[in-house]
Amino acid sequence: MRIESLAAFEGYVEDARAKFATRQSEVLVCCGTGCLANGAAAVAEAFAAALEGTPAQVKTFTKRTGCHGFCERGPLVVLRPSGVLYTKVKPRDVAEIVEKTVHGGTAIPRLLYKDPASGQRIQHYQEVPFYKHQTRVAMRRIGLIDPTDIDDALAHGAYRGLAKALTMTPEEVLAEVATSGLRGRGGAGFPTARKWRSCRNAKGERKFILCNGDEGDPGAFKDRSIMEGDPHSVLEGMIIGGWAVGAHEGIIYVRDEYPLAVVNLTLAIAQARDRGLLGTNILGSGFDFDIRISRGGGAFVCGESSALMRSLEGKVGEPRAKYVHATDRGLYDLPTVLNNVETWADVGAILEHGGAWFAAMGTEKSKGTKAFSLVGKVKNTGLIELPMGMTLRQIIYDIGGGVMGDRPFKAVQTGGPSGGCVPEALLDLPVDYEKLTEAGSMMGSGGMIVMDDRTCMVDVARYFLKFLTEESCGKCVPCREGLHQMLLIFDDLVAGRGRPGDIERIERLSRGMQLGSLCELGKSAPNPVLSTLRYFRDEYVAHVERRECPAGICRDLTTYEISPETCDGCHACFKACPVEAITGKVKELHVIHQDKCISCGACYDACPTHAVRFLPKHEMAARGVA
Amino acid sequence: MSTEATGEVTVTIDGKAVKARAGTFLLEVARGAGIDIPTLCHHPALEPYGGCRLCVVDVTEKGWDGWCKMVIACQFPVKDGLIVFTQSERVLETRKVVLDLLLARCPETPLIQNLAARYGITETSYQRNPDPTDCILCALCTRVCDHLGVSAIATVNRGIGREVAPPFGQAPPDCIGCLACAEICPTDFIPYSTSNSSRTIWGKTFQMLRCPACGRAHITVEQARHFAGKGGVSESYFTLCDACKRAHMAATFQRLQQVPGVSALGGR
Amino acid sequence: MNGACGVDLAPAEEILQRYPAEEASLIQVLQDVHRAYNYLPCDVLARVAETLHVPLAKVFSVGTFYKAFSLSPQGRTIVKVCTGTACHIRGAVQLLDELCRQLGVEPGGTTADLGFTVKTVNCVGACAMAPVLIVGETYHGNAAAAKVGKYLRSSGGKADAN
Repeated sequence: MRIESLAAFEGYVEDARAKFATRQSEVLVCCGTGCLANGAAAVAEAFAAALEGTPAQVKTFTKRTGCHGFCERGPLVVLRPSGVLYTKVKPRDVAEIVEKTVHGGTAIPRLLYKDPASGQRIQHYQEVPFYKHQTRVAMRRIGLIDPTDIDDALAHGAYRGLAKALTMTPEEVLAEVATSGLRGRGGAGFPTARKWRSCRNAKGERKFILCNGDEGDPGAFKDRSIMEGDPHSVLEGMIIGGWAVGAHEGIIYVRDEYPLAVVNLTLAIAQARDRGLLGTNILGSGFDFDIRISRGGGAFVCGESSALMRSLEGKVGEPRAKYVHATDRGLYDLPTVLNNVETWADVGAILEHGGAWFAAMGTEKSKGTKAFSLVGKVKNTGLIELPMGMTLRQIIYDIGGGVMGDRPFKAVQTGGPSGGCVPEALLDLPVDYEKLTEAGSMMGSGGMIVMDDRTCMVDVARYFLKFLTEESCGKCVPCREGLHQMLLIFDDLVAGRGRPGDIERIERLSRGMQLGSLCELGKSAPNPVLSTLRYFRDEYVAHVERRECPAGICRDLTTYEISPETCDGCHACFKACPVEAITGKVKELHVIHQDKCISCGACYDACPTHAVRFLPKHEMAARGVA
Repeated sequence: MSTEATGEVTVTIDGKAVKARAGTFLLEVARGAGIDIPTLCHHPALEPYGGCRLCVVDVTEKGWDGWCKMVIACQFPVKDGLIVFTQSERVLETRKVVLDLLLARCPETPLIQNLAARYGITETSYQRNPDPTDCILCALCTRVCDHLGVSAIATVNRGIGREVAPPFGQAPPDCIGCLACAEICPTDFIPYSTSNSSRTIWGKTFQMLRCPACGRAHITVEQARHFAGKGGVSESYFTLCDACKRAHMAATFQRLQQVPGVSALGGR
Repeated sequence: MNGACGVDLAPAEEILQRYPAEEASLIQVLQDVHRAYNYLPCDVLARVAETLHVPLAKVFSVGTFYKAFSLSPQGRTIVKVCTGTACHIRGAVQLLDELCRQLGVEPGGTTADLGFTVKTVNCVGACAMAPVLIVGETYHGNAAAAKVGKYLRSSGGKADAN
């Protein structure tokens, strides 16, 4: 059913709202990739089956939504209108939920979130600390709507921004985006309005609007959640962008590893076309715009804008010099605007509520909100969106619930392979583009990886180097050869083959790569190395000079033993050991056999009495113990 | 002062004022003024590649308060008022790192050994390639092949595993045996054999065309076919070798001009 | 070039019909081809080059550049170990080692009977359940090295989270 005009749009949205308002209640089952992997599909099926009946009888609807964000506690279910949040729901819980909560109006304590500090069970999801501190703009509809139903999206505000933008001139739209202070959410933080304006001013009739859905930073999944959970927010933003710069073609580049995102985006595009929100004469405005999807081939470097464009052209993902900007000569050498998924998702909200509304949030130079994926050794792993300027401490402790197992916090890695580690001393750093860069890291995609004392920072740097060596396109010498040689040095460090002068060699090579590489992959590759060197130099020195890994992680340098004084024979280490290197009977002293031990540390993690200790291999060798 | 976008501009390179046309690449401008900037992947007949990074220079403009940015000269278009430093400390440092890395990759390649030595590097600081190669991955070979409209070879794989190879590592079906790749290669990495009867390169063997005038085998059958197609001439145009073609044309001119006293160019 | 692949070109022809005959279609075409044949057969690549008017060398270059593509037949079941940062911290290395040990292959390798291919992937976005192992279409969260045998045996089963 095509919506022919702006007036008709208002009427259509009203009808859609009314239709959903007739529902007495809804059961929102999170079906993001994370919860699906945890069995959410079966939970949704169970609800649908339990609640089925004739349309007149059914008053409670089961809705499969996108990612609710609280991945640690999935499968997640939220009931509307009560707002009750149930965590770790299994299919066998469904009957009870339907009986007691849906029909009976009472909550089931064991399924409610329990606050670790107070011990209280919290009913309403907005009272749960994980959600309480969030301000969802890019993710405003995710978790509330069925992403495969455009009417649901429309009833919840989708395309309102577009309707407003089409009553404005392109100049006015640009001004609104400029007022908002929106900066690219893919990592670089380039002012969005400035980019659009350059493209608007570029000569040429044919221009492109591109969406970078190649979220390659390991640990980041906000773009996936947006594309899966509210694809219309992306489409809406892109159409507005097209209107502002004078482009009629949009392409969404989705990484190959996100099949559900491709499915939901494809469906959303078809539905939008059907309603006349994509295609010719959108809402009677005379403006034509259409979008298609292109899948990536599996290359992190294709997250770099010029490499992405080459990939769209069917070529290898080799970046090129940015002396000529993509806004002048980008895809097929035509004027192109490329923005990240989250940036596009913000645009619709900015046009709907106004640039000033967005700019009222955040810090002086970093306006608005930002999505973060909080992962690693943190209790509440998941996806959140916050105003810029909240501190790392607030994010990791108030929202994240602190470090897993209450182990000591060591560092939080932000910005993916281009970013760096921020140590405990900087936990009160307000998170924005400038502050993170000053600290030697960067915002990047929004991945925040929490690390505890059982993390070796040399190993972390090596991990990122290994990742990047496999992703380098190989065109330029500093990156291709430099990453390879840097990794060889780190292979030596973690294996106890460090040589005097290694740290200086690392620093010199880092500088050469930063200055000489062709693109940001090579230029920022030394960041994890340099930031760990800056804050954890002592660990590097220990590896080089003493062949020791202070965190006890590097297997070639570390071994384990059980302290006879503390071991109570609980047998936990025996069960955890993957190579049967531990002998001991229950209630008797257990022993680790050095000839079999692979230094994986599973016993250390399993021991409840801290009887397992790690020590440098050379120390063990010096004792002459077998 | 400069005239509009494509007019003449003045840039300052290492303190020397140089005039150039706006938009010309900095490398060309510098070399034209006698200021040499080292390169490995550059060739005047091909589009700049930006792979070796040797031609890095520091650039700044008035109003930048001395803040410089590092760019590669081969791809950077000049504009009026550009100030360039081709030997700043960090430029030299970066070139050294590049050469040091190349020396690790190609420890037995004279071109790299000599260039590195000019920057004071006689031995690499990094791990020597256990399987030394002469290929510096400048891609001049694949680029000239593309330029000639053949595209028989390309770079394969990515990262440190990147190499130049024909498809599937087998005789490339599109290769015309012109030897442009072997001839443009700065380190003679690409082997080939050629004689009056046949030519072999990349595992593919070609039949040679012999010049009826001098007997020299100068071109492969495939080459003639390819260039005939591109140039819109008949294949027979390529029967005579270049030298004999020139001699033939000279004789024709002579006949037409009837210039007395000018001796006809004989054979070889 | 020897067309030693000997594959049926009909599926490839059908795929080529779906897209405009130009270079920009190359990666999409190769992905559909890879899905249909479980790798990129050489005969098919030659046909793709011809139809899309892209030199064979460039098709091959693209085929070897992107991680999604394999030039040799892959196993019937692809096993993916996520080596994203969160998974790395929570033990992906042990998982990968054990998987490779049990199947007798290197990462990226395929078992001799073409039963399994082991691959590493960069981040599948299920970090709350790190480390993640995907066997075919099935995700195994909080995967443990000790249970690798069980995951392999249950390939083709439903979602499993320990």
